Amino acid sequence: MTAFSKTIVRSIRGSLGRFLAIMGIVALGCGFFAGLQMCGPDMRAAAHELYSGTNAYDIRVVSTLGFGENDVERVRAIEGIGQVMPVTSCDAMARLGSEQMAVRMSSLSMDAAKGAVVRDANVILSDDGAYLNRVFLREGRWPRKADECVLEADKPIEDVGVGSRIEVLSSTSDLDDVLRKRSFKVVGLVSSSIYPYTGSFGSTTLGSGMIGAYLYVASSAFVKDMPYTELYASVEGAHRHESGSDAYDEVVDEVRRRLEDKGDVLADERLADVRKDAQDELDEKRADYEEERADALDELDDAKRKLKDARKELDDAQEKIDQGEKDYAEGTRTYEDSRADAYAKLDDAQATLDSSYTQLVESGAELDFARAQLEDGTFAYEEGVAQLLVEVGASSLDEARAQLAEGQRQADEGVAQATSALDSVDELIAGLEELEAHEQAFLQGLASVGVEAASVAEAQTALDGTIAYLEAMGAPEEQVAPLREARTSSDELVVARSQLEAGRTQLLSSLAAQGLSVHDEREAKELLETRLAEAREAQAQVSAGFEGIARLDAAAEELARAREQLADGEWQLEDGWNQLEAGQDELNARSEDAERELADAERKLDDAREELESGKADLKSGTEEYESSNAEYEDAREEAEEKLADAERKLDDAQKDIDEIEAPDVYVLDRSQNEGMLTYDADSRRMDSIADVFPFIFFLVAALVALTTMTRMVEDDRIELGTYKALGYTTARIASKYLVYAGAAGAVGAFLGILALSQVLPFIVTSAYSIIYTVPLHPFPLPIDLPIALLSGGLGVGVTLVATWAAVVSSLRETPATLMLPRAPAPGKRILLERVKPVWRRLSFSWKVTCRNMFRYKRRLAMTVVGISGCTALLLVGFGLHDSIWDIIDCQYGPIIHYDTTIVLDDDAKARDVKDVVRLLEKTGEVSGIVRLQQENMQAGTRNNDETIRVQVVVPQDERELADVITLQNRLTGEKIPFDGDSVVITEKLSLKYGLSAGDEILLYDQDTIGNAVGDGHALTVTGIAENYVGNLVYVGGDAWRTVDEEEPVYSALFATTTADDEVRADVAEELRETGKVSTVVFSDETINLYRNMLSVVDMVVVLLIVSAGALAFIVLYNLTNINIGERVREIASLKVLGFTRQEVYAYIFREIFLLAIIGDALGMVFGTWLETFVAVTAEVDYVMFGRTIHPMSYAYAFVLTIVFCALIMFAMRRKLDRVNMVESLKSVD
Amino acid sequence: MAFVEFVDVCKTYQMGDVEVRAVDGMSFSIERGELVVIVGPSGAGKTTVLNMLGGMDSATSGTITLDGREISGMGERELTQYRRHDIGFVFQFYNLVQNLTALENVELASQICRDPLPADEVLAQVGLASRRDNFPAQLSGGEQQRVAIARALAKNPKLVLADEPTGALDYQTGKQILGLLQDTCRNGGRTVAIVTHNLAFTQIADRVIHVREGRADRIERNAHPADASVVEW
Repeated sequence: MTAFSKTIVRSIRGSLGRFLAIMGIVALGCGFFAGLQMCGPDMRAAAHELYSGTNAYDIRVVSTLGFGENDVERVRAIEGIGQVMPVTSCDAMARLGSEQMAVRMSSLSMDAAKGAVVRDANVILSDDGAYLNRVFLREGRWPRKADECVLEADKPIEDVGVGSRIEVLSSTSDLDDVLRKRSFKVVGLVSSSIYPYTGSFGSTTLGSGMIGAYLYVASSAFVKDMPYTELYASVEGAHRHESGSDAYDEVVDEVRRRLEDKGDVLADERLADVRKDAQDELDEKRADYEEERADALDELDDAKRKLKDARKELDDAQEKIDQGEKDYAEGTRTYEDSRADAYAKLDDAQATLDSSYTQLVESGAELDFARAQLEDGTFAYEEGVAQLLVEVGASSLDEARAQLAEGQRQADEGVAQATSALDSVDELIAGLEELEAHEQAFLQGLASVGVEAASVAEAQTALDGTIAYLEAMGAPEEQVAPLREARTSSDELVVARSQLEAGRTQLLSSLAAQGLSVHDEREAKELLETRLAEAREAQAQVSAGFEGIARLDAAAEELARAREQLADGEWQLEDGWNQLEAGQDELNARSEDAERELADAERKLDDAREELESGKADLKSGTEEYESSNAEYEDAREEAEEKLADAERKLDDAQKDIDEIEAPDVYVLDRSQNEGMLTYDADSRRMDSIADVFPFIFFLVAALVALTTMTRMVEDDRIELGTYKALGYTTARIASKYLVYAGAAGAVGAFLGILALSQVLPFIVTSAYSIIYTVPLHPFPLPIDLPIALLSGGLGVGVTLVATWAAVVSSLRETPATLMLPRAPAPGKRILLERVKPVWRRLSFSWKVTCRNMFRYKRRLAMTVVGISGCTALLLVGFGLHDSIWDIIDCQYGPIIHYDTTIVLDDDAKARDVKDVVRLLEKTGEVSGIVRLQQENMQAGTRNNDETIRVQVVVPQDERELADVITLQNRLTGEKIPFDGDSVVITEKLSLKYGLSAGDEILLYDQDTIGNAVGDGHALTVTGIAENYVGNLVYVGGDAWRTVDEEEPVYSALFATTTADDEVRADVAEELRETGKVSTVVFSDETINLYRNMLSVVDMVVVLLIVSAGALAFIVLYNLTNINIGERVREIASLKVLGFTRQEVYAYIFREIFLLAIIGDALGMVFGTWLETFVAVTAEVDYVMFGRTIHPMSYAYAFVLTIVFCALIMFAMRRKLDRVNMVESLKSVD
Repeated sequence: MAFVEFVDVCKTYQMGDVEVRAVDGMSFSIERGELVVIVGPSGAGKTTVLNMLGGMDSATSGTITLDGREISGMGERELTQYRRHDIGFVFQFYNLVQNLTALENVELASQICRDPLPADEVLAQVGLASRRDNFPAQLSGGEQQRVAIARALAKNPKLVLADEPTGALDYQTGKQILGLLQDTCRNGGRTVAIVTHNLAFTQIADRVIHVREGRADRIERNAHPADASVVEW
C-alpha cells in the first residue's frame, strides 16, 4: 500500500460522515432507481412463475360456433402448438348468497385436477400435459357430480363458502341448451392463474358487464352435445421466456399468426362439421318424416278411393235420375204438344167449317143483291137509249152514229181552212213590218251623212243629186263611194216594197174567193179568227154525241156480264152447302179418336213420375251418407296435411337453419386479451414509467451532494493538495484520490442501495398489488436484474465522479504556492435586501448573516433547494395520489352520481315489465327518485383512431330527469352541461383519450360477444364533456339515439335512491329478484367498497414515498449541516466565546438551513404538483380518471412534514454544534 | 479582594491514558483597571489560563473569581452568560464573521449584551469610522484586529482578554494594536489582560504574570509602564 493510498483510506476513516453522506445518497438514488425499475420486471417475473408453474395458456381460440373434437385435433396439428385443452364455458347470471352477479362457469377435467400435485404457491405438477390453466384447490374438494362446483377463492363473496349453493338464473342463450343443472353446490374453493385480477375476472355482456366470480364444474354439468366453447393452447417453447417479454411475444405471435392464417380454414372446417352433424340429424329426421308421411298419405288415398267409388255410384244414380227426369219432362212435353196439336187441329177444322158456313150465308145475300142491281141497270140503259135517240133525232143507234160522223167531217174541214188562211195573213203582216224597219234604218243612215229625206224615193233623188255634184266637183273617189252604195241599197228597198205589195193583192183576192171580202189584211185576220172558233165549237158537239153512244154500249155489255155472273154464283152456293155438311161429319169422328189417345198417354206419364220420385229419394239418402263420410275424410286429410306441412316446415326451417349457418368467426386471443393478465401486465408497465421519473430526483440530489461534499473536501485539503503538487504528483494522480474516495463511496452506496432496495421496493409494491392481484409474491431473494443494477450503479457512481471531478479540477488548476496558502475566505457580499435600509437596519446581525450566507454558496443552495423540494414533491405525490384516488369515490358518488341503486332488467324485458318493477319499487316506500334509462355496452372510437374502448351508453327516457340522478358538469368551471334530446355528452376520461371536445365526432360501435367492435359505427356529435371518474360513459339524448337505433328503447335500467338500511335493501333486492325479470341490482356502496379495497394499494405507496422523502431530506440536510458546521467551526467557536447561548448558536447555523428548506419546500409544492399529475396520469387505467386536484390539506401535510423532517434533522445535528470546542477559535487558520 | 483572583487553580486534561496537568496550582490576582500581561513560553499553560479566565474552560480545582463572582464553579449556562456580559475577547486571528461588515461585526457582540456601547462610536474610537461598512476581507490585518477589539469593547465588558493580539500582524501594526489596548485601559478604565509569549510586551503592563510549567512563576508590578509606541521587539 503506497503512502498515497494510505491517505485515501485515512481520509475515508477521518471523514466518515462525509463518506456516508455520499454513500447514502448514492445508495438511495441507485437503490430507488434499481428498485423501482425492478418492480415491473419482478411483478412480471412473479406472474411468469405462476403462469408457467400452472401451465397457463398462451393462446386461446374462440369460435362463434364452438369447437368439436376435430377442431381440437386440427389446432393441435398446427406447428408450434404444444398442448390443447378444450373447455366448455358459459357466462350466466347467478345468485351467490345474497348477491346476484355474472359468473363464468368453465368445465374442468376433474381427473386431471385430482391427479395434479401442488408443489408450491406457483407450481402445480401433473402427469397430464394437456392440463392447462391448472387450478389451485384452496379449500374443500373437487366436484364429483354434475351439480357440484368449485368457486374462486380470491374474491370472497359474503356468506358463500364450501357447502353453499349457487343458483344459475339466466344467460344470453336458453339455459336448457347449455346446462343440465340449475343449482350447484360449492364443494371447494379454488384459485386460477388465468384470473389474476380480483377487480374483474373479465368482461361479459351480462349484468354490469363484469364477471363477478368464476367457477369450475365437471363437463357433465353441461348438456351432452354442447360444443367446446374455447380451446386453450400452449405454445412450444413459449414458457422458456417471461410472459409479456418481447421474446415471449415473438414466439407466441408466430404461432398466433399461423393460427390466424388458418382461421378461415378452421372456420370453414368447423362450419362443415357443424353442418354435417346437423345435416345428418336432419336427414334422419327427414327420412322418418318421409316414411310417416307416406303411410299417412296411403291411408288417405285409400279412403279417398272409396269415397270416389261411392261418389261415382251416386253420380250414376243421379245421372239416371236426371235422364229419367229428362225423359219424363220430354214425355210430358210431347204429350202436351200432341194434345194441343190435336185440339188445335180439331178447332181449326171446326173453324173452317164455321167460316164456310158464314161464307155460304154471305154469298146467298150477295147473290140476292146482285140480282136486284142487274134489274136496276137494265132499266137505266133502256132509258139512256131513248134519250139519245131523242137528242140526235135518229131512230136507232146506228143512224145516230152516221149522222154524227158527217157532222164531224164538216167541222174538221172548217178548222183547216181557217187555220191556213190565218197563217198567210200573219206572214204578210210580218214582211211589211220588216220592210218598214229597213227603210227607217236607211233613212237614218243618210241623215248621218247629211242627206235628209222623208221617204226612200225622196232619198233616191237627193242621193243622185249629191253624187252627181260630187262627181262633177271631182271629189275624190272615197268620198263618193259610200253615196253610191247607199244609192244601190235604196234600189233594193224599192224592189222589196213592190214584191210585198204584190203578195197582199194576191192574198186579198184569194180571200175574196172564199167569201171573205175584206179591205186589208188586218180585217182579214179578225174575221178568220172568228171563223176558226165557230169550227172548233162544232167539233166539240160531235165529240159529245160520240161519247154518249159509247157509254150506252158499255152499259149494255156490263149488264150482260152481270147476268152471267149471277147465274154462276147461284150454282156455286148450292155446291158449298153440300160440302159443309160432309166436313162437319168427318170432324166429329176425328175428335173422338184424339180424346182416347190422349188419355192413354197421360196414364203412362204418371207411372214414370212415380218411379222417378222413388229413385230421387234413394239418391238423396245416398248422397247424405256420402257427404258425411266425405267431410270426415276432408277433416282427416286436412289434419294430416296440416301436420305434415308443419313437419315439413319444421324440417325446412331446420334445413334453412343449417344452410344459413355461417362460417364462425374464429378469434385467436393471447394473454394480452385476458383482462386480468393484461391489467397485471399494464400495472407492471405503469410501474416502469413511474420508475423512470422518481429516481431522477435522487440522482440529481446525489450529484449535488457529491459536488458540495467533494468541493468542501478539496477545500479542506488545500494545503495537502499544494504539497502533493509541489512534490510532483500529476493532477490526475491527485484528483484520483478524490475520485477514488467519491467513487468508493458511490460504489459502496450503489451496491448496498441496489442490494437492499431491489428487494424492499418490489416487495412493498408487489405486496401492495397483491391486494388486488392473486399472483403470489416472488420468493426471496428477488431476482436482481443485472442490466438495471449496472445501469443504476453506473449512473450513481458516474454522477458522483463527474461531480467530484468538477469540484477537484478547479482547485487543481491553481499553482502549488497559492494552494499552500489558506484560501481567502469567501468574501462577504451584499445582497439585495440590504438596499431596503429600514428593513435591513432592523435585522439583527444573525439574520443579516443568515441572509448573506444563504446566497454565499450557490452549490449548497442548489443542493438544498433541489433536495428539499424533491422531498416535498415526493410527499406531495404520496398525499396527492391518495387524494386523487380517493377523490374517485368522493367526487364520483355524491357530487356526480346521486343515485345509489342500479336495477337492470333482463335483455328481453318489455316496457310492461319495467313498469311492473317501478310499481313494485314505489310500493315498498323505501325507494325514491326512480329514473328510467336504457343502458348499452358499446365500443367507442373515432375516425382516425383504430383503437376502441368499452363505453356504457346511457339514454334516459326523459332527458329532464337525468339531472336528478347524475350531474353533468364541467370539472373546472363547475358549469352545468345542458342535456336535451339532441345532446351527446361524453365523460372526461374518454374525451382525453381521444382528444375530443364539444363539436367533434365520436363513433359508437356495437360489440360482439368477445367485446370486439363490429360494423362501421354510428357517428354522433359530442355536445359536452362531463366530469366523471369511474367508467367511460356516453349520455345520449333520445333524438340523437334514434340515429343510432331507430327502435324505441325499452328503458330497462333504473337509477334510484334506496334507504340506507342494509336489511331493507336486502328485502328490496330479494323482491326484485323474485319478479324474475330483474337481472342486476347493484347498490353503489358495494362498488365503493370494491374501490376502497383496490385503492388501499395506494396507501402502501404513500408510506413508501414518505419514507423515501424522509431519507432524502435527511441526507441532504445532514450533508448541508455537516458542511456548514465544518466550515464554520471557527465562527461558531468565536460566537461561543463571545457568549452566544446555545440557542443563538443553533439559530445562527440552522436558521439559514431552515430558510433554504422552506424555499425548497415551496418549490417542491410546484414540482410535486407537476410530478403528481404525471404519476396520476401514468397510473390511470382506461376506465378510471383520478381526481385532478391535490387537496389543500395535502399541501399542508407535505409542507409541514418536510419542515418536521428538517426540524428533526436539525435537532439531531445540535449535538454536533454543541461539540464544537471554543478552543477552536484560538487555533490558527491552518 | 482583588478584581480577579486565581487561587490554586489546577487544570488537567485526559489525553488517552496520560493525564496532562496544563495548569498546576496557579494563583494570582489582578486589580480593576490594570493592564496585565500574562507571559510565558509555549506550553507553559498561559492559554489554559486564558480559557479559564474567559469562561471557555472550567478549572479542575481551585477558585477563580471576577469582581467577586466565582467563575470556577459555574455551569455551562452561567459560563455563557459570563462570557456574554463580562468578557471581551480579542483573538490572535481576529475571528471576524466574514459575512458581516465591520460595524455589523461589532454589533454582533453589542446586540447580545445588557449594556452595550454604541457600535459605531466604538468603531470610531478604534479609528475605523470610515471603514465601518467594509467586509473583513476588504480590511487589512490591523484593521481587522481593531474591529475585533471594537467588538470586544462594545460589549462594555468587565475584562478584556486578548490572546496574542499581534501574533498575526507585522511589527508596526502590532504596535498600534498594542497601543490601542493600552489606551483602552488607560483612557477607558478597563481591565485588560494580554496573553503573549513576547516579553517585550511586559514593558507596557501594569502587572506582569510570568507563567512557567503551569504556575505563576513570578508576578511583577510596573509602577511606570512604558507607552506602547516606544516598545520595541
